[in-house]
Amino acid sequence: MTIATHLDPTYISRGELALSGLKDLAPSLGYATILTEDGFSVVSVEGNELDSNRFASMASSTQALADAVARELQLGDNEFVIVAAEQGHVVQVRVDGHPLVLAALFTDKQTIGKSLAAARRTARRLTVFLTVE
Amino acid sequence: MSEHVILFAGPMGAGKTTAIRALSEIEVVSTEATNSDRASADKATTTVALDYGEISVNAAEKVRLYGIPGQRRFDFMWSILAERAEGLVLLVNADAQNPVETAIEFVKEFFALYERGGIVIGLTRADLVPQTLIEEYANALADEMPDVLIPVFTVDARSNADMNVLLMTLVANVELRQAVTANPRLTSGRAR
Repeated sequence: MTIATHLDPTYISRGELALSGLKDLAPSLGYATILTEDGFSVVSVEGNELDSNRFASMASSTQALADAVARELQLGDNEFVIVAAEQGHVVQVRVDGHPLVLAALFTDKQTIGKSLAAARRTARRLTVFLTVE
Repeated sequence: MSEHVILFAGPMGAGKTTAIRALSEIEVVSTEATNSDRASADKATTTVALDYGEISVNAAEKVRLYGIPGQRRFDFMWSILAERAEGLVLLVNADAQNPVETAIEFVKEFFALYERGGIVIGLTRADLVPQTLIEEYANALADEMPDVLIPVFTVDARSNADMNVLLMTLVANVELRQAVTANPRLTSGRAR
């Protein structure tokens, strides 16, 4: 029987490793999770008060809606999603080659560009970690 | 052009996306993701935000069809999409575990739509269960909600004809409710 992605020890350990460096790259990180495309949290860091399952479900819906908009408007592949609000912003990027998304919440103390760069770098790190045996 | 907004709800695997694809005259906007938990539900993909389609009733009337994700962890999408909806098509796969309880659960969850316009139930995969199950649905609903009238149909979610019957039954109900709301004297058959 195939193990569900969010329960797979390989995804969990590699995800933890990738996320461990995110706070250093972007100190205003409030919360981050690696989630499956269908909204299961694989691993998360920071912000224990946050409902990680709900965050993962919402990130999954947001990602799918943004992908649908890009597809409908024939803009090519959607590269990232940003939700910018008064008190902070959420950045989402796909993990290349895997049905995974990195979603991270940052406070407003940092520029969105820096948060995006940190999230992208972390997603790339995860791709590399998952490629290595 | 007047419009109706109809919501398609039901558990994962009931056929909501299929039904909207069977009905829609435009290419359906889907938000399907790879289903990473095949042990819970054996299907390749699952809706994580919404499905959207459109169908014309006639030259002057259009119905917007919105499908919700079937899994409860996406219930924030349920409330967003239910806000504008006027009625509910509830699809339940008859061969699932506890289909009657599931149907009642969804009716309660979306009861505001019953009051706003109406609910119809479509039992999918009904050919895989005894015919008495349909009666069981009607009885269970009547027991649980004695004052509530909800039509129950067996349907093939892939069939445009089946889904049209279900949808048009609901649209007729929605229009009747709207007419009554606009003109309460329509129900004044009772003695004053």
